[in-house]
Amino acid sequence: MKFGSYKVKLEKKVNLTGWQAAMISILAIIFALVLVSFIFLHAGVNPLVGYKEIFSYGFANAFGLPLTINKSIFILLCTFAFIVPMRAGLWNIGMAGQLYAGALGAFAVAFAFGAKGSQSIDLSPGIVIPLMLVGASLGGAASGAIAGFTKGRFNTNEIVVTMMINFITFWLVAHMIKEGGPFMGSGGEGEGFKLPPSIQAPIINNVPFTILIALGLAGLLYFLFAKTKIGYQIKAYGLCPAAAKYAGISPFKIPLLVFVIGGLIAGLAGYHYFAAVPGVFKITKNYGDFGDLAFYGIICGLISQNNPLAAIPIALLFGGLTNGGRFVQGKLNLGFGIDYALLGVLMITLVAFQFFFRYKIVWKKIEKEKL
Amino acid sequence: MMWEFFARSLNASTIFTFAALSELIGQRSGVLNVGIEGVMLFGATLGFIVAQSTGSYLLGFLAAIVIGGVIGLLHGFFSITLGGNQVVNGMGIWILGFGLTAYIGYPYTGPLGMKRIPDIMGLSPFFFVGIALIIITWLVLSKTSLGLRIRSVGENPSVAEVSGINVTKTRYLSVITSGMLMGFAGAIYSLDYNPVWNYNFIMGWGFIALALVFFSMWNPLILLGGSMLFGTLWQLSLNPELVLPGVLSRYIWRTVPFVITIGVLMLMSTKWFSTKWGAAKPEALGQPYEKE
Amino acid sequence: MILKDIKRGDTVLEARGITKRFPGVVANDHIDFGIKAGEIHAILGENGAGKTTLMKILFGLVQPDEGEIYVHGEKVNFRSPLDAIHFGIGMVHQNRKLIPAHTVIENIILGHPKSGNILNLKRTGEEITELCDKYGFNIDLKAKVWQLSEGEKQVVEILKALYRGAKILILDEPTSALAPPETKKLLASIKIMTGDELAIIPFITHKLPIVLTVSERVTVLRRGKVTARLKTADATESNLAKEMVGREVIFRLERVEVGKGKPILQVENLSALNDKRVLALKGVSFSVHEGEIFGIAGVSGNGQQVLAEVLAGLRKAVGGKVLTDGINITHYTSLERWQKGIGYIPSERIDVGSIGDFSLVDNVFMNYYFDDEFSKWGIIDSKKIRKLTKEIISEYAVAAPSSDITAKSLSGGNLQKLILARVLSRKPRLIIANLPTQGLDVGATEFVQNKLMEAKKERAGILLISEDLDEILSLSDRVAPIYEGEFMGILPGEQATRENVGAMMAGLK
Repeated sequence: MKFGSYKVKLEKKVNLTGWQAAMISILAIIFALVLVSFIFLHAGVNPLVGYKEIFSYGFANAFGLPLTINKSIFILLCTFAFIVPMRAGLWNIGMAGQLYAGALGAFAVAFAFGAKGSQSIDLSPGIVIPLMLVGASLGGAASGAIAGFTKGRFNTNEIVVTMMINFITFWLVAHMIKEGGPFMGSGGEGEGFKLPPSIQAPIINNVPFTILIALGLAGLLYFLFAKTKIGYQIKAYGLCPAAAKYAGISPFKIPLLVFVIGGLIAGLAGYHYFAAVPGVFKITKNYGDFGDLAFYGIICGLISQNNPLAAIPIALLFGGLTNGGRFVQGKLNLGFGIDYALLGVLMITLVAFQFFFRYKIVWKKIEKEKL
Repeated sequence: MMWEFFARSLNASTIFTFAALSELIGQRSGVLNVGIEGVMLFGATLGFIVAQSTGSYLLGFLAAIVIGGVIGLLHGFFSITLGGNQVVNGMGIWILGFGLTAYIGYPYTGPLGMKRIPDIMGLSPFFFVGIALIIITWLVLSKTSLGLRIRSVGENPSVAEVSGINVTKTRYLSVITSGMLMGFAGAIYSLDYNPVWNYNFIMGWGFIALALVFFSMWNPLILLGGSMLFGTLWQLSLNPELVLPGVLSRYIWRTVPFVITIGVLMLMSTKWFSTKWGAAKPEALGQPYEKE
Repeated sequence: MILKDIKRGDTVLEARGITKRFPGVVANDHIDFGIKAGEIHAILGENGAGKTTLMKILFGLVQPDEGEIYVHGEKVNFRSPLDAIHFGIGMVHQNRKLIPAHTVIENIILGHPKSGNILNLKRTGEEITELCDKYGFNIDLKAKVWQLSEGEKQVVEILKALYRGAKILILDEPTSALAPPETKKLLASIKIMTGDELAIIPFITHKLPIVLTVSERVTVLRRGKVTARLKTADATESNLAKEMVGREVIFRLERVEVGKGKPILQVENLSALNDKRVLALKGVSFSVHEGEIFGIAGVSGNGQQVLAEVLAGLRKAVGGKVLTDGINITHYTSLERWQKGIGYIPSERIDVGSIGDFSLVDNVFMNYYFDDEFSKWGIIDSKKIRKLTKEIISEYAVAAPSSDITAKSLSGGNLQKLILARVLSRKPRLIIANLPTQGLDVGATEFVQNKLMEAKKERAGILLISEDLDEILSLSDRVAPIYEGEFMGILPGEQATRENVGAMMAGLK
């Protein structure tokens, strides 16, 4: 293509540095925000005002910031649940199902200790809370294991399987908390029972202790992929299963392992949302929405290029955007779902910008004699 | 009573038929669209809004087909021209569909409020259209030179190219056609099968259709059988009392079609099955084609 | 079409000053030649001599930077293969350009302008059968291409070109994948075609005798330039080889006797299925001893790949036993086999033997990650593995600027050196080398063969699988020709000759 005396050419990138990837991702996010401003315009709101409200509520507001951090922890855990299988080249879109399974696991532990019976029951948090975390991990891991097993053993398409498990688990939760299900709360409106105060998760400065789990996992996963044998095996399988098999890496164990780890982390996300967020402490009636939010994990994972440390700022940004988005819906009288629209636009922009991970645009001045 | 159940099942199967057939057409040309759920959401939502605003079913369906074609074109642009990872692109389309339709459609939440499309003995007219489409697709794919071209670019685009076939054009044609049918499938759901708008109301049917294409071994005739089976299963999960009254809660029954999908998918993937029935997967499925 | 009246001896295709540059290399440097109707004109050259580029230019897949092509005296400008086809040029590719899942007839009519909207398979079938009868081809038009042998697939490609009206046929390595009898049949058909005023241009890397038997003229390329134009009658095998390589070629490597030790590998009645779940290995039995190279000679697709994969633990056996040192390892995983000292050098260098997106360090690690020495408590000792990689690169003269570049940026020869070095550095007691020199140039081939010889001197047992008879004959202590999944016999090295091994590879006991 020619523009004046310049020639524009696409060239394949040989190597992509981390810095370039970060720049491209940031540009993609900015571009998406620009696109969404058309939605603001359409709704009759000055986009600058809209974004100012979103960001100031999301990041600089005494009420908003803790909510942002809550959401970010959740998104970060979902991101890890996506990243680990993705490193093995496998798509986990079953974070929703795995987090419901985790929530069921955590509440099953509380249920077993009789927490449904009375709000004033005095349970030892030092025992029950760790057990709830174990329950959540097991629930999520079991849900993930199904997809990992079917992939490893039968080579079924993991996208379809994890999606199916999402719906199965969705209805299982409904079974447990609706129409007289065992976990139904006293309100009887399709909500889970509320955890008694004695086993509610500890909150430090308005932030649940699960933030420590999320940040700890970030470091742990980074180390796993950078320095360990298992991380190496996962990466080898992800880049080329046939070569991995040649090197003696089991094509059964790796898919199972990554989905168990991914599921486990998603299970912890389930614990976080239903058992650790201030004021929730139950499986809420609109539990489906949290499954939707899990999809931010996909976007965040893709933007961070499967790097668990890079995922932290991105999760924080998305936490703030959704949180602020929900807030401006009310404040500026926008329609429902502006945060969902943002989610969609972000994702598609990211997809379009993936092109720049592989190609670069080269401008060349055309020499005079050739003109 | 029994007939009503069957009619309802076949109506559900009609949506699977359209959706899975659309995906099959794209996949035979080598383009995987895992964003089918998103395209259906676009078609369903736009179709619903246009039909409700204009009072015309025809315009509603047309809008759905057009938006489906546009989204198909977008997927084609990402997957064919830019040559990106088709799964990533499909995921993008899905989440875009999910997010944007949630926002755009929200003011229209609720029933369509139009006179229902007349049925034929309880059967939706689209049931018959679907069967006709299946036969036409089968004929085109196996008996015409266009079909040979589509199958060839799906099997091995570089061979097709040296044989003088325009791979890009053929793939675009398939992907756009596929998108139009996906949009149509979504509109059948929102205008005929269950004319009530709610956000994310396709509820994973697109993903089931995706699985159905794998079941069908990329054969339109088997696909018809598969979608009827799934329509019946779905209907059964809504009315479990027809078979086993009082056993298990209705929510547990709702999980059955999904559980069976996983089971069938596992069976299909066994070596025994692929040896017995042969693997018909288009060789180049999911791979972008780059000219040398 | 402009090619109606062709008389024998007319110049049908002429190239003048064809030049093509790629970053860093001049692939074609002012190449001139002319082809006459009714003539077989071989283009000879090593890998990297610029043959492939020239072929692609003639078929419109690549555009030259300079130079002109004339078809029947008319200057042409091919922008795509379609233009070339339009001018009556047909191409038979070495890596078959056919669709395995489609039938023979579907492959032939694919993209044919005459095929119309609705396929008329009956009429086209008759027309193709007519062509078959004329040139002595025999093929089932309704068969799926994946069911065909290599020779039959080649026939399909030739038919496809002819059905399109090709008058000039470019053949890429036409005999490389064929067993001797298939080669004979093909050459007979080619002779009939030249009688019909077709011009035939085979491009050939090796197998010089074939060039000498069929062609009338030869053009030799080296490093992108034409180094010789000869009438075949004036050429000899050795002067062609000299022109091709640029120096006298030492064809034979001296076999060293190191004295056979005890058996390392014993295979009893081993059977296995191929990817299509067809029995492809049918009860072979043999043993490999310390300090021995056991050569398996065969045309590809006769079960040797399946055998190698079963021995490496990548494919399940359906019958029989594999023993090393008397221990039954039939059901061992590939990891257990590595740990037992079996090293596999796969024929697929990219995607099995190496991971293209991994760095050289990570690629070397593929055969070391399971050693405690390199990953204690599951944590990688990156210093150690880096050091090893550096040693390998310098010892095996792998041309790489650093050990952090990706494997896919290495050339084929350098990649094979890296894989070989990685496997040999483990000092395996048994080495399975599957097509270790395929596609390598003369220098790299010599290097690889020498390294295998060295390993033999260090008393490793080596199972060498090759399609190259010269390689098998010069390296092996014993030779087993394989045909349709069975050994046609096991010959001691001194009894194996080109003639008897060649016959056995073709299925004659």
